[in-house]
Amino acid sequence: MNTVKVRKTIQEVIEEIKQNPEYREQIVHWHTIPEKEAKYVPFPFELDERLKKALQERGIQALYTHQHSAFETIRRGEHFVAVTPTASGKTLCYNLPVLQTILENPEARALYIFPTKALAQDQKSELNELIEKAGATINCYTYDGDTAANIRQKVRKAGHIVITNPDMLHSAILPHHTKWVSLFENLKYVVIDELHIYRGVFGSHVANVLRRLKRICQFYGSNPQFICTSATIANPKELAETLTGEPMVLIDNNGAPSGKKHFVFYNPPIVNKPLNIRRSATLEVRKLASEFLKHKIQTIVFARSRVRVEILLTYLQELVKNELGPKSIRGYRGGYLPTQRREIEKGLRNGEIYGVVSTNALELGVDIGQLQVCIMTGYPGTIASAWQQAGRAGRRHGEAVIFMVASSSPLDQYIIQHPDYFLERNPETARINPDNLVILVDHLKCAVFELPFRKGETFGGLEVDEIMEFLAAERVIHQSGDKWYWMYDSFPAHNISLRSASQENVVIIDISNVAKHKVIGEMDRFSAMTLLHEEAIYLHQGVQYQVEKLDWEEKKAYVREVDVDYFTDANLAVQLKVLEEDKKRSRGTGIIGFGDVMVQAKATIFKKIKFETHENIGSGPIHLPEEELHTNAVWISFNRDVVNDFTEERIEQGLIGAAYAIQHVAPLLVMCDPSDLHVVPQVKAVHNEQPTIFMYDRYPGGIGLSEKLFDAMEDMLVTAKDMIIHCPCESGCPSCIGTDTTNPHAKKDALRLIQLFLR
Amino acid sequence: MSIQKKLSRLKGYMSISSQSDDQKQPLLQQPDEKVSIPYLEQWESFGAKPFFFDGQYCFVREVSYPLHYQHGHYQLGELYDVHRQWKHSRLEHPLSSKRHEVSDLFFFDTETTGLGSGAGNTIFLLGHAQVLDDRVVVRQHFLPNPGAEVALYQSFLSEVDYTTLVTYNGKAFDWPVLKTRHTFIRDVVPKLPAFGHYDLYHASRRIWKHKLESVRLGNVEKEILGIERHEDIPGFLAPMLYFDFLSTQNPEGIFGVLKHNEIDVLSLIVLYIHLSKQILGANEMKSAVEQFEMARWFDSLGEVSAAREAYERVAERNEQEAAKAKWNLSLIYKKEKRYEEAIAIWQELLQDKSDLLKIKAATELAKVYEHHFKRVEEAYSYALHAYDIWKSLVRTFKQKDETKEQELLKRLCRLARKLKK
Repeated sequence: MNTVKVRKTIQEVIEEIKQNPEYREQIVHWHTIPEKEAKYVPFPFELDERLKKALQERGIQALYTHQHSAFETIRRGEHFVAVTPTASGKTLCYNLPVLQTILENPEARALYIFPTKALAQDQKSELNELIEKAGATINCYTYDGDTAANIRQKVRKAGHIVITNPDMLHSAILPHHTKWVSLFENLKYVVIDELHIYRGVFGSHVANVLRRLKRICQFYGSNPQFICTSATIANPKELAETLTGEPMVLIDNNGAPSGKKHFVFYNPPIVNKPLNIRRSATLEVRKLASEFLKHKIQTIVFARSRVRVEILLTYLQELVKNELGPKSIRGYRGGYLPTQRREIEKGLRNGEIYGVVSTNALELGVDIGQLQVCIMTGYPGTIASAWQQAGRAGRRHGEAVIFMVASSSPLDQYIIQHPDYFLERNPETARINPDNLVILVDHLKCAVFELPFRKGETFGGLEVDEIMEFLAAERVIHQSGDKWYWMYDSFPAHNISLRSASQENVVIIDISNVAKHKVIGEMDRFSAMTLLHEEAIYLHQGVQYQVEKLDWEEKKAYVREVDVDYFTDANLAVQLKVLEEDKKRSRGTGIIGFGDVMVQAKATIFKKIKFETHENIGSGPIHLPEEELHTNAVWISFNRDVVNDFTEERIEQGLIGAAYAIQHVAPLLVMCDPSDLHVVPQVKAVHNEQPTIFMYDRYPGGIGLSEKLFDAMEDMLVTAKDMIIHCPCESGCPSCIGTDTTNPHAKKDALRLIQLFLR
Repeated sequence: MSIQKKLSRLKGYMSISSQSDDQKQPLLQQPDEKVSIPYLEQWESFGAKPFFFDGQYCFVREVSYPLHYQHGHYQLGELYDVHRQWKHSRLEHPLSSKRHEVSDLFFFDTETTGLGSGAGNTIFLLGHAQVLDDRVVVRQHFLPNPGAEVALYQSFLSEVDYTTLVTYNGKAFDWPVLKTRHTFIRDVVPKLPAFGHYDLYHASRRIWKHKLESVRLGNVEKEILGIERHEDIPGFLAPMLYFDFLSTQNPEGIFGVLKHNEIDVLSLIVLYIHLSKQILGANEMKSAVEQFEMARWFDSLGEVSAAREAYERVAERNEQEAAKAKWNLSLIYKKEKRYEEAIAIWQELLQDKSDLLKIKAATELAKVYEHHFKRVEEAYSYALHAYDIWKSLVRTFKQKDETKEQELLKRLCRLARKLKK
């Protein structure tokens, strides 16, 4: 290289960005997190010499405080959940006590549960490396759909550590527990990594799978300790306790060091004032990333969809277009083969690769080493995942910088304009509801299949005799003496998918490759009405698909990959009836209620909406029958008379605006996707004839989102209010109350209606 | 809201098929143990007696047949004849009973509440037949309610000394399910002995998969063994009849299942007789397809001389299988270094109708002339011949297998190089 251009350091680039008016104007807030020293504790005295040696070979001379606490807690016989930021050595929190126990007692067994197969593979390699360095004979296997039939038996009989995922546990291990006798008789530890992933419907299912696991352990006389690790969420202890049904010790004394970090809140400039449209976040990110990449400063860019990743990658690879061979700026997303991923990870660690553009896939704990700069294209949706992504930047020594570049969405705009909210607030609460009747009954069926149920026996502490009697009356199980037995000629676990909602699912089939149709997912019927109708654009892991045919009878949606610049939004005509009011309280001049509701919905029309500008560029009818959903809802109502100066029309518009705002801020309080919770405004609700806004769980029976909102309603309304007040638009925009309102007062009215509850 | 109300509201989401109301009679409660056994008279007149153990009971039913009882094409006593033949045969074969006594063989079949080997699949009927000196005894153990498994397995495991099971698909199904059930109660009942196991399903599949649409036992009985069933209950109805029995305790329907199982185990005896005769008389088999399959079976078992003989018989016949048999035979000759005989077959196959066989034969000829006789010119011309046929095949079908092409070309090029030297 004989260029004269001098490579700048990260500090110099940061300084430059601070000075350059083009950037300076857009920086809403600059937050600096000081560096933190490592806190070490010597190896525990009892730690096996072989393990000590293995650790020392890896350059580890002492444990971080949290690793030490983890070891001690397990040795005391307690269960724990460790909250660990990215790259803090969390795997040692469980690997050390587990390996120590197996070295002391070769009969001991451990079960590791990871949410995905890729993570399981990563962990196996890491674990085997440690075992090899320790010179121990410990068998560690993955057991998943890819495990060859001929080694399955070996895994079942001789695996000290079996690494699997919840789906496999549910459908392959527990129903066949008699083939796993040596595992269940000697099970000492159950490790649940990435605990925060187990929330909502998925978490509620997994909690029940663990109840079944514990029941089987009890049958074989074992009583395993649970070890959980989680990213930062508001309620790790509560989530771990609900999920496992065991009291947990919270370990959060993170002793890993970190360098100085800058967290920069960046809002792209407004390009259309009345509509409050900002310049595309993607273009801004491209500019910012280039500043670092041209000086070969290692940078990771996050984008929310695969399409965005590809666009950004194309832009950024312009910088290295003259390079021959493998590029030093790469994409990294779900769907890459393990070997490709290894190659990229290695390139990052040894510096050959200095730029990566990734989807959220990387959020999960795959180790890619530590980079210097992290740029998020838009707010990732939750505080927890924002911190996880931010954790990718930051070496133990030296500075790191994180940019969060906002898009025009209400949530992004709220966050970017309230940096304190983001920085000081607890991350979201992860909610599960293991006692959701639909989910519970499904797993009780599996549980009876696995082991007969004794009368009076509880399930996760729950009395279930009544449900057993119900299943017996339905002739699914049979009572004989004081026990219920599975008496049905089918295999219950086959019909129950942990990752999706109710049983009546629509299967999504990709027909892009004519020769090879592929099932890529499934969706509950209720959501399918608005997301899988014909001509809908369906996003799957960031890829756009268009629905070509929806066979409602056969429950199949045929989709084909497309690349378009719009998304579709379907109108759902909703009727909502309160069946039973379980909780109720007054607040301001309004009422907040919670209970069981029946939702009747019919999809009517859909609109095609252009990305970025949100222009309506076409529409069409949807022909589908009406669907019913029984679920939980929380609602807020006020007396029509307190706003008697309003016309019906103004109330309606105000409610629509407020509902839009609520829909978008709700994910700030409960960890969920905006589509997991539906918000419906009604000028005259059936049950009380008053103006009401309903928020209901999209899953039959409810998964605890609306219940949590019942308690947190004030917080949410304050947030919604702030969001609307601080939005610079004149009379409503996609960043606050949406564009469905036509009335010029709507923004003001929505605000007034919300404030009725805050007096 | 009450759980019952919620349950019925959410029922639609629970994948419970709704049943018509008339079916939902209140369930019959179990009578107190030991006190009274419902329908005991019917059971006894059906030949079943209760077996009590630890406060539970199961039914044990015994039926005897004379040795001359004709079941399909054979009499049950012919088992003694084939057993004698096995003893005199030199053949080492997985179905050979030469190292057992006739009475060691337990012809065994189960009826279960479902398919698969999951922990919730229960065996409710264990049936076996044993051929004794003077008669054939069928014995069945029946589970009257799912809480009585300890009694069932106690009765099954403690009375007889099973050493060798003969089943139909028992290796993949009955035995794993039995092991699963046993795991539940392993602390209170005798251990499972180490069984020898003849699985007649695999043998049947080998020989008849081309001939029969399905090799289900029922189909083999009808098409091969000449067994006619009258008023038989189809096997797939067994779980339903059992569930029905559990709720009503009326044994009328389940008697049909026991009868079905009884015929099943008798059929296993006859199937074993028939298969043994086929194996031992492989050289006299009528069907060329079956004879060819039998030869292949010997071949895969390493019974070379039996395989050679059977292939030779097929090769002599004027049927489709003859060419395939010749090909396989040539490979045996090649292994035995009987090159002249192998070459004769390959030369003959060059005239065969099948292009693929022609290619294979030409390739073998090229190999043997190149490596054994070191006659490069001949080798080259055969290799070229193989490649030409291949080319015309590719032209006709417009599809090609790259690795196959590479292989042929590689040989051709190597021989061309050798020729130039």
